[in-house]
Amino acid sequence: MIRQGILIVMLLAIFAVFIVSLSDLDQLYQTSADYFREYGAEQTGSNNLVTAILLDYRLFDSLFEAGILLIAVSGIIWISKHDIEEKNARFMLDKFKTPDLFVTFSRLVYPLMLAFGFYIIVNGHVSPGGGFQGGAIVATAILILYYIDAEKETNIGMIVTVEKFLYLTILIIASLSIFTRGTFFTNVFPYDTHGGSNQAIYLVTLNILVGFKVALGLWAIFTAFLKEGR
Amino acid sequence: MHFIPVYLIFIPVLTALFLYVVKSRHMNWLALVAQALMTVLLVLYYRAFSGNYEDTMIVLGGWNEWIGISLVNDEISVSFMFLSVFSWWMVLIYTFEKGNTNHNFLFFLMFLQGVFLGLLQTNDLFNMFVFMELITILVTILIAFKKTGDAYRAGLFYLLISKVAMMMFLLSIILVYNSFGTINILLVRDAIAATDSLTVVRFSYALFMVAVMVKSAFVPLYAWLPRAHGVAQSGISALLSGLVVKGGLYLFIRLNQMYEFANLNYTDFFYWIGALTAVVGVMFALSQKDMKQILAYHTISQIGIVMMGLSKLHDPDMFIGGFLHIFNHALFKSLLFLGAGVIISAYRTKKVTDIRGVMRTMPFVSIFMIVGMLSITGAPFFNGFISKAIIKYGVIDSGVRYWILFIVNIGTATSFIKMSQIFFGPKTMTIRIRKPLKNLTLMSLAFACVMLGNFYIPISEGFFGFQVRTIDIGTWANFFDYFLALSIGYVFYRFVIAPDPKAVRYIREHKMTFQQANYLFVVMIIVLLTVFVWW
Repeated sequence: MIRQGILIVMLLAIFAVFIVSLSDLDQLYQTSADYFREYGAEQTGSNNLVTAILLDYRLFDSLFEAGILLIAVSGIIWISKHDIEEKNARFMLDKFKTPDLFVTFSRLVYPLMLAFGFYIIVNGHVSPGGGFQGGAIVATAILILYYIDAEKETNIGMIVTVEKFLYLTILIIASLSIFTRGTFFTNVFPYDTHGGSNQAIYLVTLNILVGFKVALGLWAIFTAFLKEGR
Repeated sequence: MHFIPVYLIFIPVLTALFLYVVKSRHMNWLALVAQALMTVLLVLYYRAFSGNYEDTMIVLGGWNEWIGISLVNDEISVSFMFLSVFSWWMVLIYTFEKGNTNHNFLFFLMFLQGVFLGLLQTNDLFNMFVFMELITILVTILIAFKKTGDAYRAGLFYLLISKVAMMMFLLSIILVYNSFGTINILLVRDAIAATDSLTVVRFSYALFMVAVMVKSAFVPLYAWLPRAHGVAQSGISALLSGLVVKGGLYLFIRLNQMYEFANLNYTDFFYWIGALTAVVGVMFALSQKDMKQILAYHTISQIGIVMMGLSKLHDPDMFIGGFLHIFNHALFKSLLFLGAGVIISAYRTKKVTDIRGVMRTMPFVSIFMIVGMLSITGAPFFNGFISKAIIKYGVIDSGVRYWILFIVNIGTATSFIKMSQIFFGPKTMTIRIRKPLKNLTLMSLAFACVMLGNFYIPISEGFFGFQVRTIDIGTWANFFDYFLALSIGYVFYRFVIAPDPKAVRYIREHKMTFQQANYLFVVMIIVLLTVFVWW
């Protein structure tokens, strides 16, 4: 009891220092936001500044953020893989019978979700969204399939290999700019031609690849957990 | 030539992905080819830039360095890169088996190398955070690779406590960005110099430091290290203990360079943290009987010694001593872990009290192990002696600090006298496995230990560009000191440790729980805030 009390006091003290230190920001506050507002759309061809930062200014970070998901997926699959073959295993979902109403609505919603996910991915450079977010929506849509058809078998090995292959492609496309602009990890097309329409091609390609990679990764994680839960 | 840093990061990553996609056991040699290519590139880079690292800045994407991500190198990062490439060579050769079907292992190992080289070269705080996260996940997977219960628990312990620490790191990055509008380390350094040391700067420093203290396992936040390094495969333990844990120390150097002009008086505080770490690590190591646990606790104590040197960032001699000790420790600890791996796999036990007659059964391995033990205990003519001597000369005037080093030395000697009992005894029947590649690895590491012990001046001037003070190695005083430590250690072992009294058993069975580790984490934040914000 005393230990918990001391812990709460300590956490409050840390919070108090945090609040006090924030008051210093009145004197110091600086941000690069103005730079992005002024030049972002022009330099990267993306009206969505988040995409501009993710896929151009800080593309190097995004590559390794996608890498974190890649490693997490292969790690979870490696750790959850058992050496003993479990035969006649059924998914946990069909032990509890899914209500028919839910299945019917899932069938209705599934194509809509898929279409919405693709929309978010493809329009990542003009409106809020992008590869990471859209990929998550597409993955959710795919997961609904498990409600519609509980017997569905998925080949995880295949998904993971395709995911690795997509990541490899992303790395190659991201570094293509060395040939056109003489530097790594930026848009392939120089930014002063055709009013940004060429640059959009590159952004859409990269968004689609990232979106598929994220969707496949999340799908693989979910399938691995489903098999764990048998 | 200018883009070699980028190639060095992506060659291992691409190799890892390729090996995973191809999934053919005939392609494993590709990892060695990639490693050779990286070595060549690194040597080319060193020849092009050594002595003049001003032009090494690359801003990726060609943007303004205020907003873009930049990579930059100096003597410290280039010598760290040489050390990492060498360590990965050793681990790759040690674990290499022809026709091994385990692609996953090579995939994670090579990916980790790319990420670690990225961490060494980056000049961007958020990029650093991303790399640290990737390293955390990869290391967790490598710890849990054997899929035993202990390995899972150790991996999860490490993952969770690192995540908490890295959240503090992220919070600190947000504070820095809001204060200065950039997260480029060199620019933030200049910006800090232009302001007075405000609370927000000190607060962010304290949060950075608590993350660094978890990642490099300082007392009291060390609880994850002995578990993790004790249960992992020997090759992985060698890599983690020798190199990856130094990633935290590398962050310490970089971040302290960033806060160089913030008027923070950290020197003494971190010196005493280092001293405490060294003493506590030795104390736990003395009580252990598991060979890998002993080595893991010695990693903690040696990190403490490194810290004592590194904390004096403005005293060139002490700093070089600590920096050299990072390299020496990487070499001899890898050697000891890999040798222990060979012995453990032959005897099928980790208990030092059960293993006997290694000298007669495996003469080569024993000789290399003895080289490692002489190095870690600081015998003259071996590499551990050099860096310990430099640190010792730095504190020779102040009594208490000198005696702490001496006590740590005696503890190390005692613990390795205990470990050396495995060599004695008659020849035993073990599983005879001929492993020339493992012997080759041990031999190269032992050779490197002896080389650094004798030719440290040209080596360190060439790589680090530092003027190392000359030490008279072969004087009688040094031998007298060493044998004094050994004999006190022997007496101490014979009459205190060997009878296994209650106190020793208590320390051995003491394992910090996850709750306690987190509690200490919060306590440590408070301590750091007291030292750096209020004081």
